[in-house]
Amino acid sequence: MSNAAAIRPGRPALPEWVRRLPEYLMIWVPLLLSAAHLVSFSLWTIWISFTPSTLVPVSGWVGLRNYTAVLASRNWQIAFDNLLLFGSAFVVLSAATGLVLAILLDQRIRGENVLRSIFLYPLAVSFVVTGTVWSWLLNPGLGIQKLVHDLGWTSFKFDWLIDRDMAIWTIVIAAIWQSSGFAMALFLAGLRSVDADIIKAAQIDGAGPVRIYRRIILPSLWPITITVVVIQLQFAISTFDLVRALTNGGPGIATQLPALVVYDLMFQRSLLGRGAAAAVLMLLILLAVLVPYAAWRYVQRRRALHA
Amino acid sequence: MPITTTRRRLLAGSVATLALPAFARAQGAVKPRLTAISQWSAGSDGAAITALGKKFEEKGGVWQHSPVPGFTTEMMNKLRAQIMAGDPPACSQLKGPEIAAWSKIAPTVDLDAVVAAAGYEKVVAPDLAKLHKPGGKWIALPLQIYSTNMLFLSKRAMDKAKADKVPVTWADFNDLAEKMKAGGVASPIANGGTRPDDGQKFEAALAGISPLAYRAAIMNLEKKALEGPEIKAAFAQVRKIADWMDPNVGAQHFSTNLKRFIDGDMGMMIMGGWAQGVLRNAGFKLEDFMIAPGPSDNGKPVFLLNADAFIFWQRKEADLQAGQTLMAQLVMDPAIQTMYSQITGSIPVRTDVDLSGEGWSEGQRTTAKALKEAIGSNQAVLSMAHNMAQENGMTAAMIDVITEYVKNKTIKPEQAATRLAEAVEGAR
Repeated sequence: MSNAAAIRPGRPALPEWVRRLPEYLMIWVPLLLSAAHLVSFSLWTIWISFTPSTLVPVSGWVGLRNYTAVLASRNWQIAFDNLLLFGSAFVVLSAATGLVLAILLDQRIRGENVLRSIFLYPLAVSFVVTGTVWSWLLNPGLGIQKLVHDLGWTSFKFDWLIDRDMAIWTIVIAAIWQSSGFAMALFLAGLRSVDADIIKAAQIDGAGPVRIYRRIILPSLWPITITVVVIQLQFAISTFDLVRALTNGGPGIATQLPALVVYDLMFQRSLLGRGAAAAVLMLLILLAVLVPYAAWRYVQRRRALHA
Repeated sequence: MPITTTRRRLLAGSVATLALPAFARAQGAVKPRLTAISQWSAGSDGAAITALGKKFEEKGGVWQHSPVPGFTTEMMNKLRAQIMAGDPPACSQLKGPEIAAWSKIAPTVDLDAVVAAAGYEKVVAPDLAKLHKPGGKWIALPLQIYSTNMLFLSKRAMDKAKADKVPVTWADFNDLAEKMKAGGVASPIANGGTRPDDGQKFEAALAGISPLAYRAAIMNLEKKALEGPEIKAAFAQVRKIADWMDPNVGAQHFSTNLKRFIDGDMGMMIMGGWAQGVLRNAGFKLEDFMIAPGPSDNGKPVFLLNADAFIFWQRKEADLQAGQTLMAQLVMDPAIQTMYSQITGSIPVRTDVDLSGEGWSEGQRTTAKALKEAIGSNQAVLSMAHNMAQENGMTAAMIDVITEYVKNKTIKPEQAATRLAEAVEGAR
């Protein structure tokens, strides 16, 4: 801006706020709009969850009845157990896969850019596509199992998709395929930002590569690990399209997840009040993840300031 | 009294459109216009409603149809939004008990006069008529009928089983399935794995075992009937069906396996009449399969009714009101119903339409005959799996239990029956 003023000296300088107006508009308008949407609709949903609304929102007060009904339903109980299993397995495994990929890519290998794009590519595919493709791959009669059978190993069995107890793991597999590239990208950035001097110093002191990773590089990745975990967790909690395309909650209702239950209650069963209650429960689960994270960030920042 | 006003206006409108449409227009009367929403956007459904729109325009109307592709529930979301905004369409697709539920949230049009003028009530199955006149007045009109428990038999699988007789009772059905299995048919039952698929197997089983128990337990939700022995017997039959299905169907749509069905790799399919249209569209020949009414232990056909319908929402605009009258007349018209069903593969709502002529398939004739006989023996009941017997919430609660039972072979029929009764209590 000052350059422009220098080039054309004859033109009177615009007041500060006018010059910065585009910035303000770019940042504040979308921010306020989305905040207003988020807050107002969250409050609206919370209110609906205490009303007897079914087909359309109605006023009235039923206390916690919607909540007790949702919590007592088999669908929600299965969905909640699945969320615990899916959430932890997916977060741990996708972070681990991402980390391994990142460390392998960090070896200054040839073709790194190509490999990185390949690993990141699944992220560009929509969840519905991922779910549909994996539903074919994992279907015993069409996909991997059939391929292995056709190759001659006929006793091979891989039928998790139709096995009630294992079906939830097919969602874990597809979700890891989709998003471990994302964890890899974050970890790779972290690996690259480790101070080269420290590594050099360790090498001079005679530390081997394993030791350097274990003692120097990995500990410095701690903050990134937390970020990866939190981002993946909130993805896990709100997973919807992937399950819908992959198993649609089945076999039976074995792979229900909270987001499916909310959609089902609100739009399939036309029970807006109960659906809203389930949505609020999901919000509470999310908060249980995000509030500690925010607190942790706050403590970290304060520590950094005081250090 | 808004209702009387509407009725008078409707009567006036109907007289005008009936008697002298051209003259009335020349007099400066309004040009009928109809705003309509439905889920029918593509395939034979889309073609059928487009043809209906053409007829509407031929009668001098303005046809404004906005399809909402996808599931019925997505169409409902649009309908809900429009009703809440105070701007409902003049007419929308809606069916079964949802008609009564939705009619409570916005005023509907009283169609009694137009229906009486067309003498429609006499030619509609009584259970079906009741759904379209909650509170005693016609507010919606059924358009076409499907049976959800038609039995499709693969000719090649029949050859493998060396059988040529169509099974009538569940015992016959089970015999044939065993023969097919022994004859080398990999999966005697062809099936999809979606929720309505599973629901259909159960309703076909129960209604085939006892239409009376079906009516009492599923349609009227009587506690005693829900705990009765027929429910357990139905679950036991569903287990047999599930054991004969390909375990790999997962959550697939039934149409995925149609080729295997035609090839004789799968033998029998209990599916709605629409499967005939799907088979035909997929390029399979009618002589490769047979269609019969679903198994019925008393030997008389049991018909599980699924009917698409239009509901009419109150509008103040004179042109929309005239459009509603014209639409109502068209929907009840035997010629229009013939045109519509011939496109979609359904059967007409009117029981007095002659299906012997060209343009009808053997499957449609069988279905229509089954409906007539079922109505005669009071064995035409409303489909649960396709949201005709109960509102969506209750249906979903029942199907939760059924679909889990189909996929989890450790659940005993007795347990499933208890769970079904509990689910109904919980959803009441």
